[in-house]
Parts: sequence; C-alpha cells; structure tokens
Amino acid sequence: MKGAKILVDNNREEVILEFLKKGLDRTCFDAILIPLKVPSEDSFAYVLLKNPSLLDRASALPPVMPVQGAKALYSLTKQGKFKQKVAIVMRPCEIRAGIELYKLKQTELENIFLISIDCPGVLPLSDYIKDPEKGTDAFKETVVQWGSEFTRPVCKICTRFSMVASDLHIGLLGAEDRNIFLIPRSEKGENLLESLDISLENDMESWVTKVKELQEERKKKREQEHKGLKSKIEGPDKFLETFSKCINCHNCMRVCPICYCRECYFDSDAMKLYPENYLMRAKNKGGLRFPPDTLLFHLGRMSHMVFSCVSCGTCEDACPVSIPIAQVFALVADNAQELFHYVPGENIEEPHPLATYKEEEFRDIEMPYVETYTKKEMKDG
Amino acid sequence: MENGFEPKIIYFMCSWCGTGGAETASAHHLYYPENVRPFRVNCTGSLSTVHILRALMEGADGVVISGCHPGDCHYNDGNFLARRKIALTKSILDTLGLGTERIWFRYVAHGEGKRYVDTASEFSDYIKNLGPNPLKARNDL
Amino acid sequence: MAKVLELGKSIDEGVRALLRFLLESGKIKGVLTLTKISRDDDVAYSLITNSELVEDTVPLYPLMPSNTAKLLTRLTLLEPMTEPIAAVVKPCELRGFIELIKLNQGSLENILFISSTCGGVYSLKTAEKGNVGEKLPQYWESIKKMEVPPDVRPTCKGCKYFLPYSADITVDLIGKEYNGKKCEILINTQKGEEFISGMEGELKEVEIPTEYIDSYRNKRLAEREKIFNEIRVEKFGLEELINIFGKCIGCHGCRTVCPICYCKLCYFDSRESDYKPINFETELERKDGMRIPPDTILYQIVRLTHISTSCVGCGMCSDICPVDIPLSIIFSMMGESVQGMFEYVPGKNVEEKMPLITFKTEEFVELEL
Repeated sequence: MKGAKILVDNNREEVILEFLKKGLDRTCFDAILIPLKVPSEDSFAYVLLKNPSLLDRASALPPVMPVQGAKALYSLTKQGKFKQKVAIVMRPCEIRAGIELYKLKQTELENIFLISIDCPGVLPLSDYIKDPEKGTDAFKETVVQWGSEFTRPVCKICTRFSMVASDLHIGLLGAEDRNIFLIPRSEKGENLLESLDISLENDMESWVTKVKELQEERKKKREQEHKGLKSKIEGPDKFLETFSKCINCHNCMRVCPICYCRECYFDSDAMKLYPENYLMRAKNKGGLRFPPDTLLFHLGRMSHMVFSCVSCGTCEDACPVSIPIAQVFALVADNAQELFHYVPGENIEEPHPLATYKEEEFRDIEMPYVETYTKKEMKDG
Repeated sequence: MENGFEPKIIYFMCSWCGTGGAETASAHHLYYPENVRPFRVNCTGSLSTVHILRALMEGADGVVISGCHPGDCHYNDGNFLARRKIALTKSILDTLGLGTERIWFRYVAHGEGKRYVDTASEFSDYIKNLGPNPLKARNDL
Repeated sequence: MAKVLELGKSIDEGVRALLRFLLESGKIKGVLTLTKISRDDDVAYSLITNSELVEDTVPLYPLMPSNTAKLLTRLTLLEPMTEPIAAVVKPCELRGFIELIKLNQGSLENILFISSTCGGVYSLKTAEKGNVGEKLPQYWESIKKMEVPPDVRPTCKGCKYFLPYSADITVDLIGKEYNGKKCEILINTQKGEEFISGMEGELKEVEIPTEYIDSYRNKRLAEREKIFNEIRVEKFGLEELINIFGKCIGCHGCRTVCPICYCKLCYFDSRESDYKPINFETELERKDGMRIPPDTILYQIVRLTHISTSCVGCGMCSDICPVDIPLSIIFSMMGESVQGMFEYVPGKNVEEKMPLITFKTEEFVELEL
C-alpha cells in the first residue's frame, strides 16, 4: 500500500489543519465540515466552514464526540445532494455510520469527501465538560497510549479504529511523533493528493502492521468484555435490573446516528392507547410500570437498528441515569452482525441485511416438520 | 387443560398460505387447542419484529409464525425477509437470554391443514413443558 | 377551617394505608404512584391495581423519574378514564397536568388527586448507586425542621408553590415527622371526602396556622434569589447566551421530559426546519461558517417563547441535559418573569384561560408606539 509521509514540525494537529487549508485554498473542496471548539471552550461542535481562518479553532481529533459526525452529515444532505464539494473530517465510527445512513437513503455522498483519522477513543462528554483542562490532559495520554481508562467503555474495546471505507485516511499509528501518514482509500483520495502535489512514494507497512497488532489485542479484549457483560445481563431478572433506572426519555434514540426516523415508532400513536388498555394491562399483572413499554422500546430499537450499530457510544453519553446502554447494544450488535456476516459501513456496495436475502440460509430457524404429530383425543370442540 | 398451566399462544399467519392452511383445516374438521390464538397479517414479511416482542411481553407464552413456503409468497419474497427478521429477533433474545425458544417459524402451505393443526398442538405442548413466560409476570417491563 | 383525617400511623405507613384502603374498598381500580422496582433503591412510577403491591410503594419518595403530568396525559389523551383511579402527584406535576388540560391533552375525570406539601426532589444524577437512600434520613430531618434540604434540585430549593392547588387530598408533610406516630391528611374537596369515608382514622375540623407556612415560603424565596443571582439571566446578552448554550448537542431531551411540551411533531423535527443544500450554500455565502446541525440557540429561544407562560419549574430539563446546561433555572426564571407580566399562575385554576388565548382591551398600552 502506498501513501505519503508528512513531516511534523510542531504538532500533528497543526499539520493536518495546514493540509486542509491548502485543500481549501486550491479549491480541491469548497467547504470543510470539522469539529470546532465552542466559545465557552468546554466542548466541540461540527461547523461547515469556508473561511480558512476558522480552522484555527478546529480539531481533527477532538477529545469528545458531542454530536455523532454521521448525524451532522445527515443534517447536511438529508434534503438532497450538495452542489459544492465538502470535505468532512470524522472518526472511523462516524464514517461507518455515515455509510450505513447512505444505504438507508438518508445521506448523499456525491460531492462529499470523507476524511478519516486513526482514533484512540473519546472521553465521556460529561467528564470533559466538568473539567476541560483535566480532560485535555487525559486525552493527550489516551493518544500516547492509544487507549486509556478515561475513554468511553465501548471505545476501550473498539476494533475498528482505523482502515475504514473513506476517501482519505490520516494515519497516526506506526508513524513516530514527527510524522503523519496520508493514505488514499479511493480514487477520489488519490486525485486529491495528486492535485495537492503530494506524491505517494512511501510504504505504509509500519502503519498496517501497527494497526493489525492493536486490532488483535482489542479483539481479544472485546471478546472477554462481552462474555463478562453477557453473564451480567442475561435472563429477565438481570436484564430488567440493568434497565430499572430507565426513565424512557429516549435520549439514546435521539442522539443515535442510525435512528433517523422523523417520528419514532415508540413515540407515535401506535403506543398511545385508550385508558382501558393501560388499566387492563395493569389488572393483568397487578401493576404496570409508567411510562409503559420501557423494555419494548429497547428491544424494539435493537431490532430496528442493530445491524447498523457502529458501537460509537454516543447513546451512553446521553443517558441521564448512566445505564451501560452502548455496551449492551454493542454486545447484541456484534452477535447479530456476526450471524449475518455483516460489518456496518465497511463496504458501501454491500446491501443492508434486511434489504436482501438468499434462498438457502437460516435453515436452522425453520422448525422441521419431521413426522405427523399425534395427539391425545381432544375433548369436544 | 388438565395440568394447570394453559399457555397463551399467538399464531401469526399470512393472509394467503397461513390462513389458507387454517381454512383447509376447518374444512377437514381438524381441531387445534383453544389456547392458540390466530392472528392474521398481510404477509409474514410485513410482520414487524416489534409485534413479536410485544406479544411476548404482554402475556403470550409463545409465538409461532407461519407463512408460505419459499417461492410461494404472494408478494414474491416476503417470506424470505420474514425469515431474516425472525433470525434477527431470535439472535437478540438469545444474546439477552430472554427466551429465544418461545418463537417458532414454520412454513404452512394453503392446502396443508394437518400441518397447521399439528404445528399449533405441537407448539402448545412444547410451551406447556417449558412453563410460563417469565416476562409475563413482570410488571416492571 | 379545614378537614383533616388523622391516622395513628407514621406518614410513611399512613399514606400506604390510605392507598390500600382505596384499592380494597373498590372505590378506585388503580393507583399511579412511585414504587420500588429493583434491589437497589431504584423507583419508578407504576399503575398498581393489586392492593398487595401497595407494600412496595413509596408514594412520597423525593425523586421524580418523569413528570407525572406526562404520565397522566398518556393515560387520558384519547379519552377520559373510564374507571376511577388515584394519582399521587407532587404540586408541580399537578400544575403541569392542569396546564395540559387547558391544552386539551387530557382529562380530569375519574382521577382522585393525592398530593403533599412538597419538600423537593433529588436530581436523577444523585439517584445513581442508591445515593438517595443514604440521604433519606437527612432529608426527612430537614423537612421536620422546616429547612430547605441542601442538595435537592435548584428549582425545588427556590420553589414557592409547595402547597398543591386543586388536589383532592393533601398529606401534611412539611414540619412533620415522616417516621413518627401521626399522619395528618387534609381533605380539600367533597370528592376527597367521599373517597375516604369508611377509612379508619379521626376526621376533624382544624384551623391551619399559616405563619409557619409563610416563614417557610420566605426561606424558599431567599434560596430562589440566591440561585438566580448565581446565573443572572437578565444580564446574558448574546455573548453569554452563546456561552451557556454553545455546548448544547441538540438532543432535545429537555423537550421530551418537559410536561408542557406536548406537540406530536415539534417544529424542529418537522420538514419546516430542514435545511436544503441551497439553504446551506446561501448561509455559507453570507457567513464564513455554519454550525451543523443548525439552529442550536434558535431551538432554545423558541422553546422558551412557546412554554414560558406555562413553565411550572419542575426541573426535569436540567436533570436530563447530557451537558449540564442549567436549563431549569433559565426557563423558570423566564417563566416567572413572563407569568408575572400576565399575572398568571400556571396550573392554579383549570378555568383560568392561558395568557395567549385571551386578552383585555386595555392592556400593554406601553407597547403601542
């Protein structure tokens, strides 16, 4: 694999922003969508910008993910294609979610230039906001160690922190502090580097090796964590214990990039029933938790979006009662995705599992009718 | 039923072959247990995963889904997509230990009356052995 | 003179005895109240129909997982309750429900409202890891001494509406011992009297001394002033507005938990507020950059204008905010100012029309140029 090795004078962030400025100056793209520091300096927000001086407050790898990048991409392109060229700098899980939304026909990728970057994880949003200085230091350590105790729980077991289906990838792994790698992942990427006079003369072996090494480590850790989590939450008692604090605020659904429905099924009229219905259900069971259908919401949401779940962890950040929702969804998603041999956002050509089928598959879930079932005589019907 | 626990079974069937099977069964005067409640949907492909989950949480002890055989679907491929959806639902319930064995999926053709009643009886006895659905008794769902 | 039912039990036991009596006598078919639902101190609202389950209820628990106004509207939106139920609500929840009734989002019929003089609730973050259970003894102590509990929601600390309007039955809590030997329940309406008739206990007519209520209200007003002085909303200006709301992530959680926000499809979710590519491109021509998703501060200001006349100051919005914006303080301060201008108290009287659907021919003359 060929790429470009760029020398770093001061810090890596600066070099990346210089590169983006160059791209803007030479109109390789007309605008950039990248996280900028907010005025109160305790968070970041995606900003679509034309003015290169705004890049002074930008960060290609911010310590937090307040808004999932795919949601920003969705907001930008949900009503149609962009006529201008926009370069978007996002983390791998955000790129993958954007591609999943494209398969669900919710984003347009024409004239969009996807730039990904190696990601060591993000800090939980509320931790960072309480003490942004401490958070910045914690994140620096996270980048150096490529992971730390400070990140979101699902970031700690993430295996897809690199090598995504973007147009251009910024490699930090396997490059010493004095370098970054620019690796084209598509023809668009190659053309961009060519138009910026950046030649692809370096071998990316060290990046590939380092990424694969870390992926192997993370895979083992993920398996271990999932086994532990499954034993903690399986079965009705333990599972309901985990969700006993849930107040049905639906924050997790609203910040999720994959949940795009304008009116969620679980907020719709289908769930608003006549008072007799609620009273009857309460009489059946002796009581009825209010608001009702908490478990149905979570299981139903799983069945709707788990194929595209990229385990970004934004849901867990938004939960007001600290339910480990991202970890539970990551566990269920991994199992469902493995069953269907599907990796969300990996290949834009691959159709969504529920939009296709094979004639010969899942024979094991069909109940075989082996012999005629004989039954004792029924009483007169 | 004699031994106390009478399971509540919901039988989702498609309007074409599934209901056809039920009608053929009635034409041949074949009986199936009273605790099995038929529930007609347009096509098993139109059956949302949420309906299956809702049934299991609101008091059903078991859910069985019957549609046309592969290739026979009135809407060409609804039953293939249904198979995938049910595989997904079972995977979710399996991962969380919430009773994946309480969902059955079996094809029933229009003329297979015996197959329809046998499925209903077999599943009802199977669930009777399994016992009541633990989610049924919970009022903190 | 007020009618008081005196029970020879602690307040804790007394309220449960009342609920048990109401269920067992068949006068109500269900009661909506807080109940314990797990091994930890987790509580959730539940519509209980089996009187045996009243044992696990904790009706006056100082926690508000959701505003009951929203639950009551979920129950009665499509049509009024067909069978009588009781609902144990806090004063702000009841006021919120009355506002929703004015907005045609529910019905008062067949509901017996049981409330209490309210000492405030803890925030949801405090409720993690069973912390509320640890704080309970201190909480009841503060209630008995008529002090404001130190770490309840800010809007609770500064709330002057701790006496419920329109409740049929009010449990006298402030200034009383929670785990003592006496439980005094004020019966405010004829309906309340009918429902409790036959219950064991002494029904007397007493004079309620108002001085201690007034002194408690003054304590609350002092807290309110302190809280509003920390965040001087009136001095915000655009600069501070951007500082405070800059980190909003647009999750709209505040809207979902707010009892007053009832719109089926909020303006900010509708196609009206979707930007087309041409809109983005035009905005980019005018300004150097544009936040995506857009309309962060517009959403907050529009929500302020839409609900401030009805804001009951429950404080759910601050609890739910993932980035700890002090929403409840800003919104309730705005609410107080707007409601003062219209001389309107939300939820006080279901007959009173909301400010924006009525007018006087002579008012606000100073607005006319």
